[in-house]
Amino acid sequence: MKLKGFWQKNGAFLTVVVLLAALSFVGWTAMGQKSFVRTMLSGLTLGALYFMVAAGLTLIFGLMDVLNFAHGTMLMIGAYAGWQFYTNPTFLFGLAPLAVALMAGLGATSLLQPVVMNWPIPERWQRGLRTALLLAAVAVGLIGVLGLDILGLADTAMVATMVAANPLAEATPQEPLASFWFRPALLLAAGLLMALAQARPGDRTQFVRREAPWRKWVTVGGLLALAVVATLVRESGPLAVLRMDANWRFVLSLLTGALIGAGLGAVVETSMIRPLYVRSRFLVLLTLGLAFVLKEVTQVLWDPLAYQMSRPPLFSQPGKADNILAWFSGHNTTINIVGVTFPSYRLFIIALGVMMLIALGVLMNYSRLGMIIRAGVQDREMVEALGINVRRVFTLVFSLGTGLAATGGIGAAPFIPVEPAMGDRFLMQGFITVVIGGMGSYSGAAIGALLLGLARAFGDFTALKYHLSPAISEASPVMIMAVVLLVRPAGLFGKKE
Amino acid sequence: MDDLLEVQDIHTYIGQFHILEGVSLKVRRGSITVLLGRNGAGKTTTLKSILGLTPPRQGHVILDGQEIQGRRAFDIAALGVGYVPEHRAIFRDLSVAENLRIAERKKGDLDRKADFIFGLFPDLKRLYKLPGNHLSGGQQQMLAVARALVPDNKLLLIDEPSEGLAPVLIEQMMEAIRHLSATTTVLLVEQNFIMASQLSESYYIMDDGKIVHQGAMADLVQNKALIHRYLGASVNAGGGGQ
Repeated sequence: MKLKGFWQKNGAFLTVVVLLAALSFVGWTAMGQKSFVRTMLSGLTLGALYFMVAAGLTLIFGLMDVLNFAHGTMLMIGAYAGWQFYTNPTFLFGLAPLAVALMAGLGATSLLQPVVMNWPIPERWQRGLRTALLLAAVAVGLIGVLGLDILGLADTAMVATMVAANPLAEATPQEPLASFWFRPALLLAAGLLMALAQARPGDRTQFVRREAPWRKWVTVGGLLALAVVATLVRESGPLAVLRMDANWRFVLSLLTGALIGAGLGAVVETSMIRPLYVRSRFLVLLTLGLAFVLKEVTQVLWDPLAYQMSRPPLFSQPGKADNILAWFSGHNTTINIVGVTFPSYRLFIIALGVMMLIALGVLMNYSRLGMIIRAGVQDREMVEALGINVRRVFTLVFSLGTGLAATGGIGAAPFIPVEPAMGDRFLMQGFITVVIGGMGSYSGAAIGALLLGLARAFGDFTALKYHLSPAISEASPVMIMAVVLLVRPAGLFGKKE
Repeated sequence: MDDLLEVQDIHTYIGQFHILEGVSLKVRRGSITVLLGRNGAGKTTTLKSILGLTPPRQGHVILDGQEIQGRRAFDIAALGVGYVPEHRAIFRDLSVAENLRIAERKKGDLDRKADFIFGLFPDLKRLYKLPGNHLSGGQQQMLAVARALVPDNKLLLIDEPSEGLAPVLIEQMMEAIRHLSATTTVLLVEQNFIMASQLSESYYIMDDGKIVHQGAMADLVQNKALIHRYLGASVNAGGGGQ
């Protein structure tokens, strides 16, 4: 009885471990130590990236039944954002005041609500008024960005990548403050108009959340202050970032990309996905459409070209480190690992993936949010019935997932070309990973990503060695998926059928 | 007013289907009120409509003098409404401890209530660290009830707590519900007529999405014809102890 329970709980995990160990042994003897280690490490690098995409996908699907086809796009946007920040952040600094001002305006919703809900507006006009407010918001927002040289700003990093020597010399200067300040002001106004529409003037049937009022003021005030700061540092900010130590700049790029991915995820979830939970069939179309739109926008801004983000100095000193410890003082491009020369940056990707896995594991198992997510994957209605605002948890999980994918994107940017279509491959592999690992299980995503990464790497090796078609390696994930689904239709660690 | 909960003529739809066709009922503060009826009569939907899980399209739900229809479920629950769903809907992937802790509305709710809860269900203390899916059916049902007791709830909506339980466990469950009604008000959905009749003083009978009969339990116990007409098989099942 005990044994049966143990097997039910850990059977899939043990099977995978035993299988991997057996395959490793076969590989070790058949391939020779060097090829084996090199292929193994390549597989782990791929697996780490797959994990960062699949972890978000599986949680988002497990919790809210949304197949997020825009997830690969989030990885792409993360890569672009990180590349921009690292190479020349003029574009990001130029747009930040506008984005923050809009958010500050939107943040006023909960402040406006208790006031405007009591306005004497007849019920038949309320709907029309809300539409009019939204249209006005769009108009005001458009006037706010009218004539702004977005393409010029976008060009800066593009040019910087190509000239490399002095990135700022080629930078398009920011608009002078005298002709710029009205833009954030108008976007603040647009945000306020949207907030007004969201607060539903005259609709007395809505319920005001009982929160401490100071908290709302602090949010709005903080965002306003941030918008002012962002407006003032448009020119000095990029300079300061570029003068920074390049390694710190890289760390900041990772954080910025993750934040942009998470923020974008939160915006997408609250504004587009939330109204469609009741018509879930359309969610696939929505996320798919969103992926196309974002991809096209990227292409317009940065042309359909592929860029290479340079590696931070931490991973680009010439020469080979004799072992990992030697790398810590030499910061070499490559490291000698049991006789195999391997790029040090790829080891960093593996480490990044492992760190994300550990962080996610801690979050899922030891925090209240993690507990709520695990409960929600199984029965979200009951979670709501316990007095927990499930919608807010949805937003958090969605932005957590997209943030994770974006982090993967920046991580990949220094060794995979940054291009509009870069997310597509990862999306497909991410879906396969999720199916193998089981919907809703982050540990399943980890095992699935590991399997897939290794399958790709060893597939490539086999194809190369025996002069077979590389299609073998591309097909291997799907074959693994088929086998797993035959044995376990819910995936290795599936919580849902 | 001595009614903690008043439901006035609610109509609830699930998709195209008109499930509740004007249900009205009152639950007196501190009482156990039972909702009887056959399968598919609309009892569970009534509980879910009160809680906002299937929001009614028409009608009013008044909790403690405050209209709550149209609010989101988590908001209604936070007003002090606990829900014990049918089919032992605990979180199977969470441990017993987590199943209880997730119901905390304020930090420390569980520590404050632990003695009371483990007094009612001593088994749970022993199983505290186990995952929910290692529990037997009866233990899961105990956990589902215990979970609703963690925060301070004014009203408990309990859906068929005796379903599929062994007679010994039904006794224990009845004892627990009787015990907790000293501090809260209970609206109970129950098929087991014996259990229902021993616990509650007032009843409502539902059929086809409407309340067809209501009154004091003492009168219903006498009215064999009525029982047979609306509760038919379930009375016999209850009598036989299944």
